[in-house]
Amino acid sequence: MSQQEPAAMRIDPPKRAFWRNLSMVWLVPIVALAVSLGIAWQTYAARGVQIEITFQNASGVTPGETTIRYRDVVIGTVEDVHFTPDLAQVVVKASIDRAVAETLPEDAQFWVVQPEVSARGITGLSTVLSGVYIEASFPPGEASEVRRFTGADAPPLMRAGQEGTRITLRTRDANRISEGAPILFRGIEVGQIEAPRLILSGDSVVFDAFIEAPHDRRLTTATRFWDTSGFNVSLGATGLSLNVGNLAALVTGGIAFDTVFSNGEPLNPGYVFDLFPDEQTARQSLFRGVAANAVEIAVEFDGSVNGLTTGAAVRFRGLRVGEVRAIGAVLSDDSGARDVRLRTTLAIDPQALGLPDGAGAEETLAFLEEAVADGMRARLATSSLFTAALIVELAELPDAAPATLERPEDSLAIMPSVYSELPDFTATAEGVLERINALPVEDLLNQAITLMASVEAVVSSEGTRQAPDAALALIEDIRGLVGGEDTQALPGELREGLAELRAVVEELRLRGAIDRLASVLDSADTIAANTATASADFPALVQDMQTLVDRAQGVEIEELAAAATRLLDSTEELVGSEQMRELPPALAGALAEVQQVLAALREGEAVENVNRTLASTRSAADSVAQAMESLPALSARLDRLVTQADSLIASYGARSDFNAEALDVMREFRATARAVTQLARTIERNPNSLLIGR
Amino acid sequence: MSGPVPQQIPPALTARAAGLVACESCGRVHRDGIAQCQRCGAALHSRRPGSLQKVWAWLFAGIVVYIPANIYPMLLTTSFGRTTENTIIGGVIELIDYGSFGVALIVFVASVLIPVGKFIAIGYLALVVRPGARIGRGSGLRGRQHLYEVVEFIGRWSMIDVFVVAILAALVQLDFAATISPGIAAVSFSLSVAFTMLAAQSFDPRLIWDAEEGTAP
Repeated sequence: MSQQEPAAMRIDPPKRAFWRNLSMVWLVPIVALAVSLGIAWQTYAARGVQIEITFQNASGVTPGETTIRYRDVVIGTVEDVHFTPDLAQVVVKASIDRAVAETLPEDAQFWVVQPEVSARGITGLSTVLSGVYIEASFPPGEASEVRRFTGADAPPLMRAGQEGTRITLRTRDANRISEGAPILFRGIEVGQIEAPRLILSGDSVVFDAFIEAPHDRRLTTATRFWDTSGFNVSLGATGLSLNVGNLAALVTGGIAFDTVFSNGEPLNPGYVFDLFPDEQTARQSLFRGVAANAVEIAVEFDGSVNGLTTGAAVRFRGLRVGEVRAIGAVLSDDSGARDVRLRTTLAIDPQALGLPDGAGAEETLAFLEEAVADGMRARLATSSLFTAALIVELAELPDAAPATLERPEDSLAIMPSVYSELPDFTATAEGVLERINALPVEDLLNQAITLMASVEAVVSSEGTRQAPDAALALIEDIRGLVGGEDTQALPGELREGLAELRAVVEELRLRGAIDRLASVLDSADTIAANTATASADFPALVQDMQTLVDRAQGVEIEELAAAATRLLDSTEELVGSEQMRELPPALAGALAEVQQVLAALREGEAVENVNRTLASTRSAADSVAQAMESLPALSARLDRLVTQADSLIASYGARSDFNAEALDVMREFRATARAVTQLARTIERNPNSLLIGR
Repeated sequence: MSGPVPQQIPPALTARAAGLVACESCGRVHRDGIAQCQRCGAALHSRRPGSLQKVWAWLFAGIVVYIPANIYPMLLTTSFGRTTENTIIGGVIELIDYGSFGVALIVFVASVLIPVGKFIAIGYLALVVRPGARIGRGSGLRGRQHLYEVVEFIGRWSMIDVFVVAILAALVQLDFAATISPGIAAVSFSLSVAFTMLAAQSFDPRLIWDAEEGTAP
């Protein structure tokens, strides 16, 4: 301002392009951004697919730790465990591998693998140390968008991809069957049972079972299943027999099956098998399986049907051809007089009668019509001499009064029946038997039954074997009695019964049942001891018997009865000693106790407890056992530290206070290191202490 | 009048107004127009070219990497086979849960307050000194200078967290019993601190005073 000068010219630099103005430093945020986005994308990609599995309880499942495995390979991790809103179930959230998730089908199964101790072995032991994991099972390939699954409480019977057939079985009660019990085919385990469940009406129990692939070909409608659980003790005419299945079946129950005849049909879906209590029943039940095409007919009996039950056999020439379906009374007034008739419905199996495979109702009825014309009649018969149970027999009586198979339009065909002589066969043998009628026949029969049982016990005793001559004499006498004229008059049934008795006696003698009895039960000694003393009186019994037989031949019925009563009394006295009586209840009690123990064991209280204990010790064992691995390293490290410190101390004066103190510290350190080493050794030597705490 | 009322001091004659350039490394004054210091050979700039641009770039980079630093885990603590991950804020909350309020406060201040404060401070400075800025033109210039100095000084202390992680990770390697390793966030966080320090360094404090010229009579 003080000088006169021209104003300075403003010279603007040429405007540089925007891009050339940019600093290279901008590359840094760009790279930073790129890297950050890269990390974010990587994290997102590795995150996996979220799925939810619902469990009843999530025992041992820990977020972030529990893995999900498929064929024992980890495919995901549990991320969160929470409840459903109503607290009724546990929802496990997990992220699983993206590649696996893409093949995860709707019906994938998940279950928690836990250590389990059962009669069939110990499974999942690896989880004691590693913690539980969730196992997945699915046939891969059928991708679905479903991301919510319901977890199973137990491993599924049928793993995905496992081939086989699922069947349904029906039984009256599931006392001896429990979940996971094996299904055996000739002793080989070929399948398993699922949990039994009551059907709605509550009158039977059904359960599913799975038969593995090659064996399921054997399943037809002719297949019979029976219970093999526990053991069977039967004391019968054939002696004492004890059947014990395999150990697993003993504890968890088991069932076996076989295809008992060859022309069974392939299974239809929904076919329900019956479970039979034992193999014999199963094999005899040919009829039941083909009940589908059984033909029902009715029979009207005049007399009492006391002893006839639903399910009783219908026999034709001794062969079981059907069963009794229903028993009821009908009122018939066709002949003017009202009359109550007992109508029994029979189900007849055409195949059992020998009719061709496809035979239906029409063919069967036609066959029966013909047979009735030739004299076939239904009549009641006792199934054996020793029981009051009745069966229906289709007897062929060519000289019977002519009758026809009535075939009303609206109801079942009615087969003519004949009055059975059986219920009062005692009354049919002339005056002798009439007098017997007046006698306390019931008591006599009851006593006779008791006698039979007692004789059985006595005959199977040591003493009897030592006196076979006497027994043979007895048999001879009985034979004589059978051959006697009076006896001839008795109905055939009685003869058959005596023949049966003879067979029993023969069989008992031949089989040497005592050997088995002695080897199986300790109490057999008691029997032997008791019967040994009893055998001393035996000749007297034989004497009495002979007297009885003599008098019977003299047809002095009163005396016969008296003698019989005496004989019975002495026999009673002989075999009815206290110890003998107490023996069966003791045996039954022992068996009942074993049964109870097994039941308790099977109900899984013990097993559950063991399982729970294992589960609870798991986390402790987990931590400590794995910590143990690093303990030696830790002690080595401490040792090294001490060595180093020692050399450090050495560089200080040998006599200074610091040195002394430091040496003390070092000694303590060493002691600590030793203690740690000891701990490690102890744990190494005795890993059990981890579990039992000592 | 002096000191207590700085606003009333008349604006000093700046080197640029006087046609002079000072060497930033050795301090020798040159006449305007000379490209290199005649004593030490450093490049001479009256104002560093592209200073604000570099500030923005570094600041932006710092903010970008600060995001993963807070989302990802800082510490991976493996103890007896169980791995726990701790983010910065997660660690602070955990410390509060344990009752260590002092340590929590230190971590919070060093890892959250200071970095965020630095972002804001540098951003503010870079905004107000750009030519033609209307915010706070000509006022509180000394305050800005102080702010700048504080930012430069305090920047390195943000590394406290990173140091803690580095030391822990180096010391606690007891195999199975306990292992601590740094997470992604540790790298991100140290990068963020480094970037903001570079941003502060790129800032040319002489720009603060250019505003004074604008208000000069």
